[in-house]
Amino acid sequence: MKTSDILNKTKELFPYIATELFEEQQGRVYVCSDHFLNVLVYLRNSSFVHLANIFAIDWIEEKEFELNYNLWSYDHNSSIIVKVRIPREKPEIPTVLDLWEHGQVYEQEIHEFFGIEFAGNPDLSPLFLHNWKEIPPMRKDFDTEEYSKRAFDVGEREGAK
Amino acid sequence: MIDLFTDITEIANKDGNKVYDIFFGPNHPGMHGNFGYVVDMIGHSIAKARVNAGLLHRGFEKIMETNLWHQNLSLIPRICVVDPDPNEAAYCGAIEKIMGLEIPERAKFIRTITLEMSRMTSHLMGMGSVGGATGLYTVMYLMLADRDRLLDMFEWLTGGRIYHIYNIPGGVRRDLPKGWKEKLYGLMDFFESKLKEYDEILYRHPIIHKRLKGVGVITAEQAKKWGITGPNLRATGVKFDTRKAYPYAAYDQLEFDIPTEKEGDALARANLVRAEFEVTISIIRQALDKLPEGDVNIKLGNPLKFKVPEGEAYAKVESSKGEYGYYIVSTGGIKPYRVSVRGPSLPAGLFLCHKHLPGMRIDDVALWMNTLQICAPDFDR
Amino acid sequence: MLNEIEQNRKERQSAWEYVINYFRKRSIWLLHYCTGCGAVELPPVMTSRWDLERFGVGPMATPRQADVFLVTGYASIKTLKRMIRTYEQMPKPRWVIGFGACTINGGIYYKSYNVINKLDRYIPVDIFISGCMPRPEAILAALEELRNMIQRGEAKGYDRYVKNYDWYKKNQKEILEREGSLFGEADDENK
Repeated sequence: MKTSDILNKTKELFPYIATELFEEQQGRVYVCSDHFLNVLVYLRNSSFVHLANIFAIDWIEEKEFELNYNLWSYDHNSSIIVKVRIPREKPEIPTVLDLWEHGQVYEQEIHEFFGIEFAGNPDLSPLFLHNWKEIPPMRKDFDTEEYSKRAFDVGEREGAK
Repeated sequence: MIDLFTDITEIANKDGNKVYDIFFGPNHPGMHGNFGYVVDMIGHSIAKARVNAGLLHRGFEKIMETNLWHQNLSLIPRICVVDPDPNEAAYCGAIEKIMGLEIPERAKFIRTITLEMSRMTSHLMGMGSVGGATGLYTVMYLMLADRDRLLDMFEWLTGGRIYHIYNIPGGVRRDLPKGWKEKLYGLMDFFESKLKEYDEILYRHPIIHKRLKGVGVITAEQAKKWGITGPNLRATGVKFDTRKAYPYAAYDQLEFDIPTEKEGDALARANLVRAEFEVTISIIRQALDKLPEGDVNIKLGNPLKFKVPEGEAYAKVESSKGEYGYYIVSTGGIKPYRVSVRGPSLPAGLFLCHKHLPGMRIDDVALWMNTLQICAPDFDR
Repeated sequence: MLNEIEQNRKERQSAWEYVINYFRKRSIWLLHYCTGCGAVELPPVMTSRWDLERFGVGPMATPRQADVFLVTGYASIKTLKRMIRTYEQMPKPRWVIGFGACTINGGIYYKSYNVINKLDRYIPVDIFISGCMPRPEAILAALEELRNMIQRGEAKGYDRYVKNYDWYKKNQKEILEREGSLFGEADDENK
């Protein structure tokens, strides 16, 4: 089946989503956070078995986070990216650990770098950073060059006395 | 079933055993890079493993948002140290998808040739490490010496041995120098004659067969649902390759077949890499025969003022370890808004260890890591 | 400043030390700990093309029996903690070579929030090699320079560490055991 047919069929079953065809083999689905699990279960059962990546985008002007679930189907050779938006002040979303077991690692990473809570994920302890005391670093209001200057002091070369 | 969330002290104390933990850690000669597992052991075998990652974390995705589009080209090969060319091809591929560009034919073929050469250097280093981890040091020395011949060709073409920075949005940076093509033909003949020697010292060695058989078995269903791609997936019997399923560069104009193995253990993965050598040599020869004339890049203007129109795209390539993908979000400015990297070693390195390591003996861990081609920089980023 | 070094050279080492340094420089063991991306140029140096063993240099797995710590590239904060422990486990005399531009001033990752910029503030470094990444011949040239420095009695990084111990420890604690945020409330008011 072609990607455009899959997207049309999905829109018939779930009339509250929006779809977009980017290329012949790549499409996108936009859905709200109350119903995204239904769409993911349906897509997983119609041969989109491979979860390549989960990542987040920080739209600071619109005050929202956007989560992206990158799916691939081995039977149809097509790639669909499911996009979910959640508010920035209280970012919470259910976990996909029951559908894809390795999603737990991606969610642990997103929690450390964006501060999004995943309800139902048993282990959200820090994985990459050591003794981090600032706001989550991938957010748009964290200035990495300023932090590097204050912490690691690039400037005059001091020597040992 | 012991996984990440069970407490093993009760299981151990029942038989009167003690639990002790060992750092299979960053400073270890059997470790491929700066990465560690903290393993809890009962006796000679492992009961539970915890991951000690983040030693190579540099914050790439954040730095890329503060640089211009062309400045990022010198950052991205450093994400994967042994196989840097798929990074450049995927990044430039995603930008070309957003802009709707079609690069010239000669550039497509040259990109194919450099990608295949990079795959070959990565496989030579990987197989050399498998030999070194077993104690067969001759294998490591011979394969690393042959890998240097390919690095000399890269230095002649691009100026750098390890990091090439050769692909740009719109094609490749400069044309092939005089005499490079003929030397590469000679090098491919040399490698074909060397394959017999690699068979004798590594692939038909009885110690390798005894040690690698039955280590880390994955079935086809498990590989598909746990996100495992690349040679690890093909070693379980699934005939899938991104170069045929979602083609990029010049792969849709070349003919090659996809080797597979059936058992899914470490020995099948090693044999698959051996079969892939022959496929790589035939692809390079075909691409050199069919190389057309023409331009090598599209002129896109001043790189300091280069803007990408608004949009998003996902581009993926088949590297020597698996599926390597870049998702780029652009809002029409001179810097990217968000770049997200999908590294191929993350499911194998951070997740598969909780399924495979419990029950394994400690001397098999280094071999398990080397045959799965877990390379720490691309999930630490 | 250069005249002072010349003057101190005779006072720096006695005849017994001169003889000992002659033997020390011919058998240097390299600690085999790959900390960063420069480590991919170590196998070509150690294997048959630029053979390191003909200089008497070989790889060593444990820091308790190694002489030189080759810091290959950038150091993140977690790596810095392990590096300090490794350096303090090596017996004297011990030397450190900083390989690559990232040890000098942060290199290409100077904007990063997880990579330290100047290695010399945390452990004493004897020789820096510049480049990104340096060729294997540069490692051989640096080892040659280190041997000459050992013979002249100038490679005394370990003495510097002991004499300025408080300064090094203060810098290390500032990074590894930070208590509060660097962006305090004064910045929020200025924004």
